[in-house]
Amino acid sequence: MLESRSITKKFGSKTAVDQVTVRFEPGHIYAVLGPNGSGKTTWMKMAAGLIKPTSGEVLFDGKPVNIESRKHIAYMSTEPYFYTWMTARDVGRYYEDFFEDFSYATYKRLLERMELTEDMKTSALSSGMMAKLKIAVTLARDAMVYMLDEPFNGIDLLARDEIRQTILERADESKVLLLSSHLVEEMEAIADKAVFIRKGQLVDQVDLEQLRTEKGISMADRYREIYGHEGAQA
Amino acid sequence: MIKLMKYEFRKTLFVKLIVLGAMALAEIAFLVGLWGDKERTLSLSILLLTFIALGGIMIIGLASVVILHRDVSTRQSYMLFMTPNSSTTILGAKLLENGLSIVMAGACFFALGALDITLLFAKMGQLEDLWQMIMSFLHSINQEITLDLPVMLSLMISILGNWISTVTAMYLGVVVANALLNGKRFSGFLSFIIIVILLWAVSWIQMQAADIKASIQTVFLIDAGIALLASLVMYIVTAQIMERKLSV
Amino acid sequence: MQYDPNRPIWLQVMTDLQTEIATGKRAPGSKLPGGRDLAMTYSINPNTAARVYQELEKEGLCETRRGLGTFVTENEQHIVSLREGMARQAVRDFLERMAVLGISPEQAVEMIRKQED
Repeated sequence: MLESRSITKKFGSKTAVDQVTVRFEPGHIYAVLGPNGSGKTTWMKMAAGLIKPTSGEVLFDGKPVNIESRKHIAYMSTEPYFYTWMTARDVGRYYEDFFEDFSYATYKRLLERMELTEDMKTSALSSGMMAKLKIAVTLARDAMVYMLDEPFNGIDLLARDEIRQTILERADESKVLLLSSHLVEEMEAIADKAVFIRKGQLVDQVDLEQLRTEKGISMADRYREIYGHEGAQA
Repeated sequence: MIKLMKYEFRKTLFVKLIVLGAMALAEIAFLVGLWGDKERTLSLSILLLTFIALGGIMIIGLASVVILHRDVSTRQSYMLFMTPNSSTTILGAKLLENGLSIVMAGACFFALGALDITLLFAKMGQLEDLWQMIMSFLHSINQEITLDLPVMLSLMISILGNWISTVTAMYLGVVVANALLNGKRFSGFLSFIIIVILLWAVSWIQMQAADIKASIQTVFLIDAGIALLASLVMYIVTAQIMERKLSV
Repeated sequence: MQYDPNRPIWLQVMTDLQTEIATGKRAPGSKLPGGRDLAMTYSINPNTAARVYQELEKEGLCETRRGLGTFVTENEQHIVSLREGMARQAVRDFLERMAVLGISPEQAVEMIRKQED
């Protein structure tokens, strides 16, 4: 469904993503893991068509990502990106204007669930509220692929439960979900696959239940194995 | 496209309201000066009206360049580039919205100017005599020069057309700076050079065209046509660079 | 529910459901939540939830009726042996921990008696 073929992105002399070939299949929730600066975000932005790769390509349904694929790929970046004049209502209307798969009714329901109101100004939101707004508007789309970059960042414990529920509500056998987070524990139960990226390279892909059955270790344990002390800093 | 234009309009709304507000204030001052026979107010307001009309059109264009810069270099860019719209559409919406705004503002200011001049003449008959004197003086120097409505109108169209091509050149400069020279030293300076060269090229072509024997308003209109054609070419090039090279 | 991330999550959810079936909290023949609902209730991956039902079915503790959903078995015998199996497991776990403390099964039984008095 969504795959990259030896994709590379260089920023000047720095290689952010290095020859990554990876394939994501529908019906799974993937945890995309790696310390800060490992290239997760850059990979996602290339899949969203926001960043042009230096070489290689990202394919959606076998075709390179383009304008058409943006109709089916819902990307949520870590950083806030709404226009500063917007209220939560404006944000919803904007998505409604540009994404056929967006449902304002769902958006409204999600806002309520996240304890946000439509008249809130985005410029006045706390970082936690902004994070929730981004999730709500992204998950109010009925997309084929969701890529959520750090969905739990800056969000308190109780709201994290809400976000997990909302993510699970969206998951089904026809959809691909990618969650990148350094809060590995938050994803243990909702992800079923994990992809580990280190210094721009794909280092491991695992099935989480298989990992637990065969090795008796958690995703967090595998994370520690791979990144060692370097992971502890992230 | 219409939806994109709607948001482009919204982004520049504040600047436009300020220009319109300033224009309205100056016009009020003009009317007060005219009917209250306050000459100082009147002359000051005429100066202001002229200044705001020209400056306003410039500001509306410049504002859109600043917004384009923000839309390709900050996080805000995701708002545009995550939507299923090609760079051609995104840039086209910007250019069309801005071009229309410039033309509409120009038309408004032109109409207002015409109205104010009429009011002025009606109020002060001697001004009309003075105007006629200037006209006949100009006419005695050169038969070609007349300052009637068609000439004024085509001059206006030429000014607006040239300004739109300037804005388009600045669009190209901004996109080149962000898509091709990103992170390199002097990228701002280099793109400024590019803008200057482009504008110089456009005016060079206009100068060649100006040599043809034609009435002054035809020359103005050809000027505007060349400027708009150049805008179109620069727009296509800019959109292609965005589509192929721009990472936001 | 808190999970031990080192052990398969389907197993932990399955144990939870087994306990509910064994204790009668989920009555024989009662309808179990759909796969998606189970995933939501337990905050687990939908594939994990599907696995839970597969395993419960293998044990004969539930059955899926086409188009109707998944139901707790009406076979009382299965439920009785489930309860017995779980009880035996609890005893094994208990004795294992006692052994770690150097207490023999006989001593453990003695301690239980005293506890009851």
